[in-house]
Amino acid sequence: MKYVKWTLYTLIVLTVFGFLHYVLPQHDIVRITDTDTRRIDFGENSIFWASPDAGTATTPAQVTRDVKFIETIQTNGRPMVYRNEDTGWIWPPYFKFDSYNLQTEASDLRSTSADPRWVVVTHYGWRNEFFTIFPNAVDVRLADGPDERIIPWVNIVILTLLLVAGIMLRRMWLQFRERTLDPVFSNAGDAWEDAGDRAGDARRGARTSWGRFKAWLRSLGG
Amino acid sequence: MIAFLRLAAIGFVGLTLVYWLVSVYSRSLRREALEKRWDEGAGDAGGGDAAGDRDAYIEAGMRAYERGLRRRLIGLVYVVPVVVVVLLIWLNNYS
Repeated sequence: MKYVKWTLYTLIVLTVFGFLHYVLPQHDIVRITDTDTRRIDFGENSIFWASPDAGTATTPAQVTRDVKFIETIQTNGRPMVYRNEDTGWIWPPYFKFDSYNLQTEASDLRSTSADPRWVVVTHYGWRNEFFTIFPNAVDVRLADGPDERIIPWVNIVILTLLLVAGIMLRRMWLQFRERTLDPVFSNAGDAWEDAGDRAGDARRGARTSWGRFKAWLRSLGG
Repeated sequence: MIAFLRLAAIGFVGLTLVYWLVSVYSRSLRREALEKRWDEGAGDAGGGDAAGDRDAYIEAGMRAYERGLRRRLIGLVYVVPVVVVVLLIWLNNYS
């Protein structure tokens, strides 16, 4: 039972972390080598691509589309390729409509290894060679240099707000339980515990809903 | 356009859920505060029938709350996200 519980916790934490890591903005300092557009036929990797340009046709079974790309070299010399797609009114909520303008700015910032111009690319998403997925560039700007220190203010604000929302939800739930559930179910709960079965024994003394949930898990394992 | 309407519809439903949750929570907090205030002796000066006065005191307090600023401020649940979206569109596309 212990292993089931910890596997469950780990999976939940990994899912939440992975989701946030994919969706929240990140900054890379790179040198843009080229920009271009390629036709992509979407397959099993289709959820890692955004939607067609805002306002253009969206036929239900659209499996092929031209996608803009920004090709770069990172400060450590490794390549990184970004896609440059509108997110429009659709997930994730970057409300990016200016992919063509961004492509123009990126083209303008191209440089060679002999005379590098370092650029900060704000992006979300992952690069994965096995599924052919690319992070989506959201913004480009000239960097102060290859060692510029970037403080992720947007992430700090968003994660703080998420934390506040989580605390708020928990307080709402506690208030609801104290004022609405407990007065209704306190008698029923006592009767249940007095039945004297194993689950009832485990529940006895577990005061919080979390404690009750854990007691219930323990009673399953026996 | 369809994508925008879909976002607006889903957003309205989601924010209505948030509005409803926050309203219930805020009302519950106020009612609890009124009960505690009475139990700590807010109505002692009047004397009289305690049980009836307590309910009347709480109901009067809740009526004042329903008209108050705090309840109206919950409407910001609809306003703030729209402002944030407009701000994001501006920041991500025009600056």
